[in-house]
Amino acid sequence: MTFNSSFSYFKQLECSGCHEYFDPRQLQTYCPICQSPLIALYDLETARKQLDREQISRRRQAMWRWHELLPVFDPQNVITLGEGDTPLLTLPHLGAKLGLRHLMLKDESMNPTGSFKARGLSAAISKAKELGVEKVIIPTAGNAGGAMAAYASRAGLKAHIFMPKDTPLANVLESRIAGATVILIDGLISEAAGMAGVKAREEGWFDVSTFKEPYRLEGKKVMGYELTEALGWSLPDVIVYPTGGGTGLVGIWKAIGELEALGWLENRHKPRMIAVQAEGCAPVVRAIESNAPFCDFWVGAETIASGLRVPKSFADQLILKTIRESGGTAVAVSDAAILQAQKELAIMEGVFAAPEGAATLAALITLKERQLIHPDEQILLLNTGTGLKYLEQLH
Amino acid sequence: MSRRVLYIEDNPDNMTLVQRAIEAIGLTFIGAENGTRGLEIAFSDTPDLILLDINLPDIDGYEVARRLRNSGRAELKYVPIVAVTANALRGDAEKALEAGCDVYMSKPINIRELWARVEALLSDTKS
Repeated sequence: MTFNSSFSYFKQLECSGCHEYFDPRQLQTYCPICQSPLIALYDLETARKQLDREQISRRRQAMWRWHELLPVFDPQNVITLGEGDTPLLTLPHLGAKLGLRHLMLKDESMNPTGSFKARGLSAAISKAKELGVEKVIIPTAGNAGGAMAAYASRAGLKAHIFMPKDTPLANVLESRIAGATVILIDGLISEAAGMAGVKAREEGWFDVSTFKEPYRLEGKKVMGYELTEALGWSLPDVIVYPTGGGTGLVGIWKAIGELEALGWLENRHKPRMIAVQAEGCAPVVRAIESNAPFCDFWVGAETIASGLRVPKSFADQLILKTIRESGGTAVAVSDAAILQAQKELAIMEGVFAAPEGAATLAALITLKERQLIHPDEQILLLNTGTGLKYLEQLH
Repeated sequence: MSRRVLYIEDNPDNMTLVQRAIEAIGLTFIGAENGTRGLEIAFSDTPDLILLDINLPDIDGYEVARRLRNSGRAELKYVPIVAVTANALRGDAEKALEAGCDVYMSKPINIRELWARVEALLSDTKS
């Protein structure tokens, strides 16, 4: 294996819990000492001297134009399907209706496989390939499975997926057509995670579960780079993010920290990160409201937004830290409000959002009522995927 | 004397990890590799807190919790029990709480969370 230091400034991995360091040239999962997620660190001091933000802006649009700030050392190991650089749309009609003058939406449905999961899996599969992995396994609420299957196929890796049996049919079919073995289970993603972990340990599969390997976070963080670049290297006042496993929320916050360290931000005013969950599965909301240091496992999780049906994220402490550091909060919305918001996004703005993405619009009403957002603020919603994957729910 | 934590767990890796974590905060660790042995120790040593794996090789963790709660001994009726599992089927958490566990944690066990939960539960039971 060769390491091209000019292609990436990736330096080491640090445990988010005990702050122990780990070698990025070895295959890593999570911290073996305290069992917390590992975080990729870059030599940002050198990058600040050598790297120019305009140079990156001039490159061909796609996630890997940020390769210096991504974890792959050798460009030949990059597995891409053209993910990233999704549109940042204004929402003038909904903004007018809600009395919000600067309402925007980053539409991740335009990614390969129709969701933001493409970003994380592009990064994770690329790095897994670089480190010699031959077979990968994932528990998923849906879209991550489809994305993993596609990227594993392109990388020539075997793929095995555990999904709840009521996962949208599109996710099952897209995974199988890409050659993955799909096992449907009578349980939630937490149960799927347990099964994937057991199979990984017993048969040597590499587990790319959310935060149980360090690199999906790196792909997801690029959303933060892109939205900042699109706003003239400035940050919005508020980012409203649907939160299941929390990789995107934590990733965007990580990206903002890195951009600040690189000296690339025009304003130092950081956004309030607002996590949106479903009323039927809101462990982060409950922890924020009770000022708890971690989430309790949510018993009896139920919601139509399958990506939000995560009873407890492996990275709950990072999610809570992100929300608190940013001065943000967490709100829960009902399934009825999600479906109504999904209709409104389509009728008023032409965006057919996934229920998880629509949940962010539903949350705006609550946030306005509680005066947690203000009419003149720049507010950015994240639509994480396409509604086309959830057609069963519209019948 | 330091307070005693009993961990009923058949996986030696988890046992070692949790033993280190419990001893690191000055508590006495007692290990049991299956449900039968765990019950014996609970009855003879009356620990201050029990960490209970659900998927055990002999009797499962739900049954262990039920027998502790129904033993007729006050100290076992109220001893804090933390269910710990890698999840097998839908409803694990509900079943663990119904069986008498106080808290449910999924594996891999985050050590900082474990410390916080153990300390909180032990401080609740200080007499």
